Amino acid sequence: MIAMKGIVKEFPGVLAVDHVDFELYPGEIHALLGENGAGKTTLMNVLYGIYKADSGETLINGKPVRINNAVDAQSNRIGMVHQHFSLIPAFTVAENLSIGLKDGGFILKEEYVGSKIKEAEDKYGIHIDVNRKVDDLSIGEQQRVEVLKLLFRGANTLILDEPTSALTPQEAENLFLSLKALKAEGKAIVVITHKLYEVMEIADRVTVLRKGRVVFKSMKAGVTSDILAEAMIGKGVELAKYKKEEVKAEGSLVIEKLMVIGERHDTLVNDATIRLNKGEIIGVAGVSGNGQKELVEALFGMRKISAGSITMGGKDITSSNVKARVMSGLGYIPEERKTKGVAISLSLSLNSVIHSHWGAPYLVNKMFNYTAIRKLAKQIISKFNVAAKSEAALAKNLSGGNLQKFIVGREMLNEPDYLIAVNPTSGLDIGATEYVRKELVDYRNRGKGVLLVSEDLDELLALSDQIVVMYRGSTSPSVNQKDFDRLKIGAMMLGEGFTR
Amino acid sequence: MNFLSVLFIFSMAVILGMPVRAAPIFAAALGENVDQQAGTLNLGVEGMMLLGTIVGLAVLVYTGSYLLAFLIAGLSAVLLGLFHGLVTITLKADQVVSGTAIWFIGWGLSGYIYTALFKTTEIVVKPVPDIYIPYLTNLPYIGKFLFGEDPVIYLLLIAGIGINFFLYHTKGGLNLRTVGEDPLVAEIMGVNPTLYRYAAIIFGGFMAGIGGAYLTISIVGAFEFDMTAGMGFIAVALVYFAKWKPYRLLLGSLAFGAVYVFYLTIESYLPSIPYQFFEMLPYIVTMVLILYVGSRAHAPAALAMPYIKEG
Repeated sequence: MIAMKGIVKEFPGVLAVDHVDFELYPGEIHALLGENGAGKTTLMNVLYGIYKADSGETLINGKPVRINNAVDAQSNRIGMVHQHFSLIPAFTVAENLSIGLKDGGFILKEEYVGSKIKEAEDKYGIHIDVNRKVDDLSIGEQQRVEVLKLLFRGANTLILDEPTSALTPQEAENLFLSLKALKAEGKAIVVITHKLYEVMEIADRVTVLRKGRVVFKSMKAGVTSDILAEAMIGKGVELAKYKKEEVKAEGSLVIEKLMVIGERHDTLVNDATIRLNKGEIIGVAGVSGNGQKELVEALFGMRKISAGSITMGGKDITSSNVKARVMSGLGYIPEERKTKGVAISLSLSLNSVIHSHWGAPYLVNKMFNYTAIRKLAKQIISKFNVAAKSEAALAKNLSGGNLQKFIVGREMLNEPDYLIAVNPTSGLDIGATEYVRKELVDYRNRGKGVLLVSEDLDELLALSDQIVVMYRGSTSPSVNQKDFDRLKIGAMMLGEGFTR
Repeated sequence: MNFLSVLFIFSMAVILGMPVRAAPIFAAALGENVDQQAGTLNLGVEGMMLLGTIVGLAVLVYTGSYLLAFLIAGLSAVLLGLFHGLVTITLKADQVVSGTAIWFIGWGLSGYIYTALFKTTEIVVKPVPDIYIPYLTNLPYIGKFLFGEDPVIYLLLIAGIGINFFLYHTKGGLNLRTVGEDPLVAEIMGVNPTLYRYAAIIFGGFMAGIGGAYLTISIVGAFEFDMTAGMGFIAVALVYFAKWKPYRLLLGSLAFGAVYVFYLTIESYLPSIPYQFFEMLPYIVTMVLILYVGSRAHAPAALAMPYIKEG
């Protein structure tokens, strides 16, 4: 049993964790619930030795322990899976599992890792091909490697930070099954989350943090999600309803029989056809890795199209470059905010003109007009509630939610006729998620088209007018809102109705 | 002499001279390879080699021991390496700037030491004697090439095979490569990035020093100012060309050896062409090779990035 007592951790200007007591019992899944910035991850990083607490102590089985780094944590058999995985993409799974491993001899042996993997597979239903490169794995698979890595090192306490934020419903289901198997083995598991249904589904015990303090603590039995939601954000929330208006707008973005061939001559997008009308949100559902990413890249001009066509309002843009596409009215909210959404070490000002810097008023006589650029950045910040010191702040200093609001704002103020959004709410807290979703629906109501690619099926069901499912690079016929059925679409995501 | 016999003699000369000319580049490149896979870019190889040239020569002159000459030449370059490590690993300074400084320090020191020790007298030494294996060395055509080189060449070959095995087939090599890919991950997995980077830099320095000493002792037999003439930089480029695989380094070094022998040989046949054109050859080949490799290779992700912990 692990007990953290009176933990305080202060960062310059923020009391991130404020006298928190936290107990963790073997054979239990303990959900640590709270909004982004509530101090959940900080508290666990203290337990894992990444941060040093300003005061308070950690006891394991009643004995005080000092954990100053990941190695100490490992020797206390504590393991943590961070949101950003600690994997080397260029290495194989076997290599990743062998880094820093003390047992098994000096020579690298794949069989050694292979036999250990087999054990884990039998026990917890976690399976993975050890010879594959991590780079080629889906997020869900990478997470499995992370969990395996901890088990390899004999962890009996597992901390998972927002483990389902990038998983498909099926992958999340698999993870939950594995976690339950691990629990049955007597492991203590902490799941850091801001998703209520996850708590309801898997937790045995729940602690809710708000602004660095424990506001609720209980066994899960008898607790309702309303109670938790209220504890989490401090007031009653109702599940959001989105007001959709009847929109009359002419024009559509037509993706016709699109083919994308990968570097290894494999077909990544196969005959994909989607018709997005103005005043409509089309949701693209699918288990990650079924060509959604490549479809979007091809649509935005970042990937070579092998066959098929894309027309926008009747204009053929199949062979246009990104700039030409943006100029003819395409916008993009990428999933990878920090690497593709912004230039992370530039100011918000400069980031605000990423899709508009090539023309007036931002470019005058081939020189930047900073007055206009700053004005735009200020407008984004104030209109989209971005919490930033000023437009001169660097993009890297914004939290994930604020960065996303900024990107959403930038794209929308550029007024594209058609906006692509990929997993726009992944990793965001409830407040920011609601905000982004509402903005997307409002954008649609203004007569614009939105292509919403998401791994969150509930999000798609709530926002879309039509849903298209992608499976192994192919698209399904679109399903109308009145025919939405969670189970039916889930089955399509697994290949039902697709010919092979 | 007809054309064919000229061609034959010419190609034999190229092949026979190849390993000797390849050795200094291979030694330095092998060190740089290990350096880079731990995430440390060492542009100071040229300076380290230069220090090795004079230290090797001086130790040989004073002690008469080839072993000591190579050993101390290697260690002298290690000192430069440790300085590079202190500046870039411990103090987290920019590796390119530090490496350039190392180059100039080695360059200046080598000339200074030579002048301080030997004034203007020209010192000439004999190369490490070639090995001789009865029968095998006498085999026609390939005997000299395979069984009649000097021992340093065989030791370097063994070092190359050893390093290849270490990097790609042992835990230590995996840990080292992890440091070069992502030091934070290494640290989380219980691998000390600082330790591995210093170890790599020590090895890299030692090999560069050996390469330099080989150049004075076994190739030229005397010291000249700035005698490496860019060989250290070619070694760095070769590491990229070889995509961080030691066996490809070996092929690359032999190719460069051939280029050197080629121009040294052809010069005398074509006196009408200024010899400077031939001397440009290795550098032109380097450019072409790098263009060929381009961006297709996967470089260690954390190459040339200091490891700075946050939080």
